[in-house]
Amino acid sequence: MPRIAVDAMGGDFAPEETVRAVAQVSLESDIEIVLVGNADRIQALLDGGPYNPELISVRHCSSAIGMAEDPRDALRAKRDASITVAARMVAAGEADAMVSAGNTGACVLAAAKHFKLIKGVRKAALASVFPRHTEYAGQDVLALLLDVGATIRCDALELAQFAVMGSAYARRISKIPSPHVGLLNMGAEETKGGEVLIDANRRLRGLPQIDFIGNIEGNDVATGKADVIVTEGLVGNIVLKLIEGIGEVAMDIASQAARESWRYRLGLLMLSTGIARMRELADYRTYGGAPVLGFENLCIKAHGRSNAPAIRNAIKVAAKAVRDRITTDIAEAVAQIR
Amino acid sequence: MTVKDKELQNEAGPTTAETPPAEPSAAEARPAALDHSAIVFRWDLDKTYLRTEFESFRKMVRIPFEAATDKVHLPGVPELIRALRRSAGERGVQPYVFFLSASPPQIGNAIREKLRLDGVDYEGIIFKDQLRNLIRGKWRSLREQVGYKLGELLASRLGGPAAGREVLFGDDWESDPLIYSLYADVLAGAISPELIGELLLLLDVERGQIARITSAATELGRSPTNVVERIYINLERRTPPKSFHVFGPRLVPAFNYFQTGASLYEAGLLDEAALPEIASALVEQAGYSAGRLRNSLDDLVRRGHLRTATRASIARILGHSGLVPRGRREVTLRARIAAFLERQRRRWLRVQPAELGPAIDYRSVILGWEARR
Repeated sequence: MPRIAVDAMGGDFAPEETVRAVAQVSLESDIEIVLVGNADRIQALLDGGPYNPELISVRHCSSAIGMAEDPRDALRAKRDASITVAARMVAAGEADAMVSAGNTGACVLAAAKHFKLIKGVRKAALASVFPRHTEYAGQDVLALLLDVGATIRCDALELAQFAVMGSAYARRISKIPSPHVGLLNMGAEETKGGEVLIDANRRLRGLPQIDFIGNIEGNDVATGKADVIVTEGLVGNIVLKLIEGIGEVAMDIASQAARESWRYRLGLLMLSTGIARMRELADYRTYGGAPVLGFENLCIKAHGRSNAPAIRNAIKVAAKAVRDRITTDIAEAVAQIR
Repeated sequence: MTVKDKELQNEAGPTTAETPPAEPSAAEARPAALDHSAIVFRWDLDKTYLRTEFESFRKMVRIPFEAATDKVHLPGVPELIRALRRSAGERGVQPYVFFLSASPPQIGNAIREKLRLDGVDYEGIIFKDQLRNLIRGKWRSLREQVGYKLGELLASRLGGPAAGREVLFGDDWESDPLIYSLYADVLAGAISPELIGELLLLLDVERGQIARITSAATELGRSPTNVVERIYINLERRTPPKSFHVFGPRLVPAFNYFQTGASLYEAGLLDEAALPEIASALVEQAGYSAGRLRNSLDDLVRRGHLRTATRASIARILGHSGLVPRGRREVTLRARIAAFLERQRRRWLRVQPAELGPAIDYRSVILGWEARR
């Protein structure tokens, strides 16, 4: 059974929500969990609710990295931080994967410091799922976007590797037999974009192990055209935040309108089930976190504002990825493009 | 060993309240010397020994028709009881095992046969005569637990063969933690007969039962003895351990019988051979892994019910028997010295009377208990 190291102290609502999530997972699955953090606080929280102690162990560490701390400085100053200890445990084989809702930069840096890159992989990528329109029945309502912040700039080979890694992950986790892979660009034509994107498009077209559908534009991101969207970290991060922002603005506008007129209120009431569905789709808590792909070990980064259900999903995704041997799949796929 | 079955008829006593005998004066109430030559283990049956399923009506009606072979014990319990008897014998202490069940005597044969199949010897088993309650129209008595169990416990102590220390085993389904704590405090003289009567009224116990209990409490109060060493509550429902903090350190909530065994080993009531026996039962009957056994131990340490040195000692014992791989923590010089010192401590261990923690505020415990129910 998979053994997952969970950073108990990372996240806006840690350790309460993290410990609650772990307790829940311990009662409903056979996943072994190591809670990394302040043992006294963790045990006090465990004591307050139902849990299965046989599946939970605690690794005490004295410090934690705050959400607003500079990741590089914090990792240097706090060698015993929960996020670092969790990464070290995974690297040493004491756990199969790690999950953290803590500081994203510190999470990626800790993974980069302690995990080895898969042979041939030049850069790791932080992938994120987001809701999108579906084009056919049975299509996953979530698409994968990578990289969303582990890198800033990438070359063509690195983008090709991201495509292969994302495709392997989507095949296993989203259960799409042959995910459609798109390269985010400013036009659909192969000659659009700069030198890097033109070269990346050429490389991707030559990869038989992925179903490359060509370039996709910004307006296609939220359609069901591509299951995996590849881009460099700078652009990916902007796109992700834009999607989150649009969702929040739409909800704000609707509630503002409802406050102003009873007609809007009535209209919204009639649309309530649709709105609830939209909310559910846009709810990051249901996604189960974002994987950092490219390392020999797996790290799942849950949203900083994650509550217990979100962290619970992240732990389950990590366990599934371990069971399905995602990293081995990725290593085999990457080996073919060298 | 001859098995003497005792099936009490659950005399609820007169329905009108009797005046309880006068409370003994301070001069009369002299603490009795603790009898170290005997030890009594009192066990609840359903959900503590047996995996009885009465969550639904369908499951409940099946129970009377179950044969001994249909009944399933919780992993590690028969091994634990056998080890408790053996360990006591090795120390020259006479063990007594009593079962107290709220099940009717009509299923007694199946239960006695089950215990025989499990190789569990016992000195007594008490059933609740539900048929008599039914015939007499005592509907409340059918479900009532506190009065019935507390009354039987006190009667058993008064009329029982032993005056030794006691260890009690129950579960988190009904009111075992409350009943056992009340019983322990009545024996220790920490609750007066007047107070027990008042508490039982709060719990809506029948007046006849109250009279019977206060009478027994008065009798036992003449020579109060702090005899209850530990109360083990099997967390079959995974009730949060924090819920039991109100009962003080005497009560140990345990998630499995390996945890219970570890705590009993620390108390000097189990020998070294017992822990691998219980752990093996959990591995074979419930698919426990080495990791799950280790986690169970660590959980007990974190909750303050097991000392770190004892944990190391147990890990070493399990390591020797091949049940868990010997970790680095167990083979370091420091760990080995700690294990050696622990062995010496156990060699000279004279089990002390149970420590009385801070007095339990039963009135607020009962109000909270009733609110939860």
